[in-house]
Amino acid sequence: MDRRRLICLGVLAAIVAFAALALVGTAEAGKLEEAIAKTPQGVGKGMIDPKAPPGFMGIPGAPKPFWFFGILWGIWVGWIFSTVGAFGGIMAGVGHITVFGLADYGRSFKDTSPVLNKLLTDSIRTCNQYLVGLSSFISSITYYRMGRLVLPLGLCLAIGGILGAYLIPVLTAGKINLSHYVGYFGLIVLVIGCFLFYETTERGQASKKAAKAAAAAFEKEHIKREQGTSELAARGVEVSHWGFGKITFTFYGVEFSFAPIWPLLGGFVIAAISAFIGVGGGFLYVPFLTSVAGLPMYIVAGTSALAVFVSMVTSIFTYMFVKGTPIDFIFVGAELVGIFIGSILGPYTSKYIPDIWLKRIFVVLAVYVGVGYTTKGFLGYSIFPGM
Amino acid sequence: MAFESIYLVIDPWLIWFYRITGYAFVDFLLGTFVLAWIALLLGEMTISVSFLLVRRKIELVNQQMGKYQTMSMEALQAGDQQAYKAANKLANDAFGRSFFMQIALSAAFLWPIFFALEWMSLRFSDVEFEMLFSNRSMGFTGVFIVMYALAYIIFKRIKYRLPYFRRIKAILDSYKEYDFRQEAENSISRAP
Repeated sequence: MDRRRLICLGVLAAIVAFAALALVGTAEAGKLEEAIAKTPQGVGKGMIDPKAPPGFMGIPGAPKPFWFFGILWGIWVGWIFSTVGAFGGIMAGVGHITVFGLADYGRSFKDTSPVLNKLLTDSIRTCNQYLVGLSSFISSITYYRMGRLVLPLGLCLAIGGILGAYLIPVLTAGKINLSHYVGYFGLIVLVIGCFLFYETTERGQASKKAAKAAAAAFEKEHIKREQGTSELAARGVEVSHWGFGKITFTFYGVEFSFAPIWPLLGGFVIAAISAFIGVGGGFLYVPFLTSVAGLPMYIVAGTSALAVFVSMVTSIFTYMFVKGTPIDFIFVGAELVGIFIGSILGPYTSKYIPDIWLKRIFVVLAVYVGVGYTTKGFLGYSIFPGM
Repeated sequence: MAFESIYLVIDPWLIWFYRITGYAFVDFLLGTFVLAWIALLLGEMTISVSFLLVRRKIELVNQQMGKYQTMSMEALQAGDQQAYKAANKLANDAFGRSFFMQIALSAAFLWPIFFALEWMSLRFSDVEFEMLFSNRSMGFTGVFIVMYALAYIIFKRIKYRLPYFRRIKAILDSYKEYDFRQEAENSISRAP
């Protein structure tokens, strides 16, 4: 790592640490105990029976997901990650919201104990973020090693990411009730479902085929006669102009430029969505940079890794110092065990199911979950059963 | 079986490391460092085993990604915008597959952290350290993260002196030396 890069990373880490320490209120220890104490006692709906056995996060009478079911659900999530991709993060959320009954339990406190209701919302999205966000942080390190870094681009993304990853938890923690969270989660699922659906349509398939054909044609014509490429590659990324309006760099002898406002804005929006829903948005940086900014993949993977790294450091600091958002560590740990078992099973089993059919299955699932959650969150009831 | 009973069995072993010097603060740091070290070793072992089990698939996806990445650069240099966009799109697709596969695999590295934190929450939920020059405090989670980072930095320096991890490194190094251009040429020669 060269000196300038090291200095920039140091400055970024200092900004993150300063933001976390200077702007955040004092740690709210015992948040859960306070919320429980403020909840009416009894055996009715929206009450806590102090004599009931402790459940999720130690709340008396709360559903207590058996750790083995956490592993089983994790296997499903891990399998999806290693076969279909982004939908794994959605399924992690579905597990917390529906399968383990945490959302319905939390909703029962909507009128009797809004503080506990919102604390459960925060806990669910933090669990999601731990599961997906931390894992994407680890895998981003791999891409950082593999790829090349465009420092100004990474910095712009990271600064936007810091704002999003920091502001959203601070502004929304303790303020979003469970119904609205479920509604917004449903909307995101529908958007992802639409992308998956597009990929299964003739048009989506045709664009992929066309890309393959164009790549193959180029491969045949050019690849054997290019000799000077590796020398140009060895020169790496060279930034030729820094400015507020435009940053220019060359790579492989070709000039690229971008307006810093776009990666700033993109980093902000992606980190904000990740922090709000808790689905981990590391995967969105690469399509954003290649499709919207038109930059080559070769440098995008490493650059986006820097952005993921910085926004994850922000999240960890925010959760360490801001929140006493309680987490059921055993449950998250059990789900992680399941996810890595699923990630091993995925490659062994996916060869028996064609890719397009996998996507079609998950389109149906996305519509079911998305419409179910959106109606449940905003109308108060799900039009589909089991949500 | 409830997890609490597992913790009851391992608790006397783990707490031993928190009683070595007799100075509460030093013991807490020392014990947490050992716990972080155990979590790190377990994570390193499980992620390496998982990697060995699925490495063929990972290799395949990474090769595809590398091939199209290289091709997009070749196209760029040749001034062929259409081929550049096509190769970039295919590299992006391959990256998506590789990224999510590795996300799932990363869980194999992270899981012990949460079991360690749960044990700490049973033992040290009331422990808070005042931070210097600030009115904020750090709980057991913060101390664990710091100790884990420290253990990671130390382990990274000695990891590849251990024969098992040397073998993993050899596999990983072979990826760095992998010639994506050669692979691209081979794929042309294999084409009908």
